[in-house]
Amino acid sequence: MVAQILAVVIFVAMFLLIVMDKIERHIVTLACGLATLVLVFGVAMQSMEAIMETLSFRGIFTVGFWYAGARAEESSSGINWATIIFIFGMMVMVEGMAKAGFFRWLCMLLAKMVHYKPVPLFLTFMVMSAVLAMFIDSITVILFLAAVTVELAKLLKFNPVPMILSEIFCANLGGSATMCGDPPNIIIGTSLEYSFTDFVMNTGVIAGISLILVIVYFYFACGRQMATESSGAVDTANIPEPKDAIQNKKDFIISCIIFAAAVIMLVTHAQTGLTVAFIGAVIAIITLITSGTYALELLKKVDYKTLLFFIGLFAVVGGLEQTGILEKIAAFIGEISGGNLMLMVAIIIWVSAIASAFVDNIPFAATMIPVVKSLAATQGVSLDTLAWALSMGTDIGGSATPIGASANVVGTSVAAKNGYIIGWGKYCKVAAPATILVVFVSMVIIFIRYC
Amino acid sequence: MEKQVIISISREYGSGGHEIAEKIANNLGINFYDRSMLDDLAKEKNLQVEELEKYDEKPRRLFASRRVGEHTNSMEEIVAQMQFDYLREKADSGESFVIVGRCAETVLQGREGLISIFILGDTEQKIMRIEEKYHLSKQDAILKIKRHDKHRKQYHNRHSSGRWGDSRYYDICINDSKLGVDKTTEVLMFFIEERIK
Repeated sequence: MVAQILAVVIFVAMFLLIVMDKIERHIVTLACGLATLVLVFGVAMQSMEAIMETLSFRGIFTVGFWYAGARAEESSSGINWATIIFIFGMMVMVEGMAKAGFFRWLCMLLAKMVHYKPVPLFLTFMVMSAVLAMFIDSITVILFLAAVTVELAKLLKFNPVPMILSEIFCANLGGSATMCGDPPNIIIGTSLEYSFTDFVMNTGVIAGISLILVIVYFYFACGRQMATESSGAVDTANIPEPKDAIQNKKDFIISCIIFAAAVIMLVTHAQTGLTVAFIGAVIAIITLITSGTYALELLKKVDYKTLLFFIGLFAVVGGLEQTGILEKIAAFIGEISGGNLMLMVAIIIWVSAIASAFVDNIPFAATMIPVVKSLAATQGVSLDTLAWALSMGTDIGGSATPIGASANVVGTSVAAKNGYIIGWGKYCKVAAPATILVVFVSMVIIFIRYC
Repeated sequence: MEKQVIISISREYGSGGHEIAEKIANNLGINFYDRSMLDDLAKEKNLQVEELEKYDEKPRRLFASRRVGEHTNSMEEIVAQMQFDYLREKADSGESFVIVGRCAETVLQGREGLISIFILGDTEQKIMRIEEKYHLSKQDAILKIKRHDKHRKQYHNRHSSGRWGDSRYYDICINDSKLGVDKTTEVLMFFIEERIK
């Protein structure tokens, strides 16, 4: 009982400290993670086994951690090292691609292909945002897309705000389609042992259908207005050529090959047996080797704070899991749903969506994974169905408000720094109805397909 | 002025610090910056100045914004950063100026010509000044002072490692209620002239 209270107090304190943003969030989660290990497991539970299980070091040294074909018996509890190694690998690769000018080149190329016309630009960038976010973290996608959008808006004299809002939404939606698109999916995938294909065939289908609806929605909500506002005549003389974005042709080609290799490895990992931890490690090593003398610089640019944030977070959630708190939450959901799968799906998807609209969806997803696992085991319902509901709820819910997901923060920040202020009213007026629409459509698809 | 002089003046609300800052700038014949710098920023960003003024010297709203790495969508923090960059540019250009508030003593910390001043006042004097300036009742003046000082403190402490009004953090702290605005300006002018000799 003492251990449970301590675990909850530490978890709530961590959430509050993250929201208050007085102390950097990785320090908060690491300190709370340490408090969990010492106070919950050490003092209250006096269980060395719980500490070892939460630290999960043993798993890294098993073949199954790197190659799924030889999967060893392992626990999904505690620090999810596979997620951390994979995110590290993708960070290194993305830094290499950014340095080579890949993202800017792609944006400029597509803009040129649609002859810099605002409405086709608006629609193309939405699709590009969703497709890129399927493989690359949404922060990077939006950082480049929003910057290019603002640049083009200044040159072509249109209001970039509707475009940025649609790009943010599509980045979050695209991220929900794959295992590596959004951190909650990586955690869900590695914890519950789903493959890239599993995600594409399930959340990917939902995201694909939703993308069509979202494009129609944004066109009527903002695109038509852009068409009437734009002057029509486009002076493209001052617009930079796509090839100008390429810093170094050799680096550019190498980064494209590495990206293609990463995509192929991810798409085929269910067949090859390679785990995401292996793919992340290989991608990082290849990027570093091919970067030559720049490798050290690339390593320095990796966002270690985010990786440390994840480590601390997993330890805190491990505290809730080991003390049985999450099983109680699962039992509560099971009780109020009366064992009805549809009701469980509805609760999970809407609670996840509403929570993710206001708090970071990564801690939320990490906390909910043991809950859905326990719910599936105790209620005898399909874990897959609950996992897809959790994935769509956390990934899409974050789109509703400016603070819901990292891409929203980065997009609105880039816009504001360039003089385009997007307040809560302006943001939610466009994004909240789209979020509700997609969460509702996701729920209906899950009902029809799995319940 | 041959050598660059940057005078940062932090002040309690209603202390008369703003007035003293203006007098010092006039006496030294150097530029004076306060919230008016927002006019330049608004022009540069193609915005209405009122849109930026809403966020000037305000702390971020706790549950309404988030930070991701170096990116934040708190308009209070974005406007603060715009002002900090503006001040750094001015300082880099070699210009001498007086700046009121905006955490300037932190933003420009380490610059050779920086002189940091904190001006405070007796509560009664501050209330009287605000009552008179804004035609407020005593109660309303007290509330206004409390609100503004709270915001200034939160804003300052968010962007600075030093605490707002902590004497260890400024070159000189002075209570202008003791001598009045003019005499305090004279004392400060003496201090500044001795420093820049």
